Amino acid sequence: MTAPEDLESRGTAVMGFAAGWYALALGNGLEPGTSAGTQLFDKELVVWRDASGASHVWEDRCPHRGMRLSFGFVRGNHIACLYHGWQYDEAGQCRHIPAHPTLEVPETIKVPTYASVEAAGMIWVRWDGEAAGQPPEDIAAVPVRSLYLDRAPETVAQLLAAGRAGSFETLSPGTFATALEGADLFLALQPYGAERTALHIARTGGDLPLKDIAVWAEELRASLEALPAAGLAPAARQPGAAA
Amino acid sequence: MSLVLHDYELDSDSYKVRLLLSALGLPYAKVAVNVHPGHEQRSPAYLRLNPLGSLPILVDGETTLRDSGAILCYLARLHDKEGQWLPADPVRFGEVMMWLFFAGADLAPATLARLHHMLEVPADAEAVGAASRRAFRIMDDHMTKRELEGFAWFVGDQATLADIALFPAIALSRDFGIDHDEYPALRRWMRRVRTIPGFITMPGIPDYH
Repeated sequence: MTAPEDLESRGTAVMGFAAGWYALALGNGLEPGTSAGTQLFDKELVVWRDASGASHVWEDRCPHRGMRLSFGFVRGNHIACLYHGWQYDEAGQCRHIPAHPTLEVPETIKVPTYASVEAAGMIWVRWDGEAAGQPPEDIAAVPVRSLYLDRAPETVAQLLAAGRAGSFETLSPGTFATALEGADLFLALQPYGAERTALHIARTGGDLPLKDIAVWAEELRASLEALPAAGLAPAARQPGAAA
Repeated sequence: MSLVLHDYELDSDSYKVRLLLSALGLPYAKVAVNVHPGHEQRSPAYLRLNPLGSLPILVDGETTLRDSGAILCYLARLHDKEGQWLPADPVRFGEVMMWLFFAGADLAPATLARLHHMLEVPADAEAVGAASRRAFRIMDDHMTKRELEGFAWFVGDQATLADIALFPAIALSRDFGIDHDEYPALRRWMRRVRTIPGFITMPGIPDYH
């Protein structure tokens, strides 16, 4: 069995991204009492928000039978697995097993959790432990949409940095800024998997209607999926993806 | 008149009709058709009801209808006096019909992909999977923009036949290997569909408890 740390290091090395904080979702897109599955470097994660409004990022796997927890449901401040209803508290500790309701659940039944923060209207996970550095700055931002692309993360980052899909300022290896009709936009790149990328988009200035930005984002996605990758600079490898 | 639905529990098109019947609170008789493994829907008796050999089939007295989209429209026109599900307003009507045809045509690969995975119906798995993802992306883009303008449903400001007809393919997509990760607006919309009074599930769509 490979330790989680080894898996993460391998993932970041393969895709040319450093340890850092990566956006996984828009904060306002995850309602209290709901969960969403996602991936980072091909590793399945569940992002969920408890009834009190706090968000959590965990490994998306119930220790019981390996079912994705994101298929399950949130009850109060617990998340429950769809298969057999095992419930986990905010720290990932299993607290209730319906088939054995009187059982004092052993401390060893625990879901691996990740450090996460909400900043710039997005939910960020710390990747590769302490090497990730400081969490991203909580700049004022209005979340717009998340964009999912069938394209390798390093290719998307290079196309944006090279100005091939418009004029983007590279703030860090995983974050970008651009201007659109008087609005300032902030984009955070999520290396979803080897051939898949998410871009989380927020408006940081101006008052261009959010729907117009969403339409622009569809066109950006079409460009980024169609553009040839030939002639691009090597992948960025600086540490820290934070804004 | 008494309604008779010729139905198969695992058929997502039959589920659309069951869902609307439940939302409208209409009593009906359900005839379970042995689709798998019996292929009863293609027996001579069933081909007389529907020469296409598909389900669902609705029989209402002298009237026999096939095609879930047509059946949804018929039931809404006949029993939804307030016109919520199939609006009379020409623009709303047109928009609902646009999504009903989308559900019948552009989501057909998703229906086939699921049958291929579950019941080994022949299909080009890669092609139907890619076509399904294209359709789901179009749906997610639409609901993303709808949400940004303050709307909760595919058309207008309340649930319509569009929501009923579009729901099963994406709600069942994990049956054929497509997760909901890439469709955040559809994930939120699916939770809303679950709040429609009379909402029911089918095998593959979990009943949260």
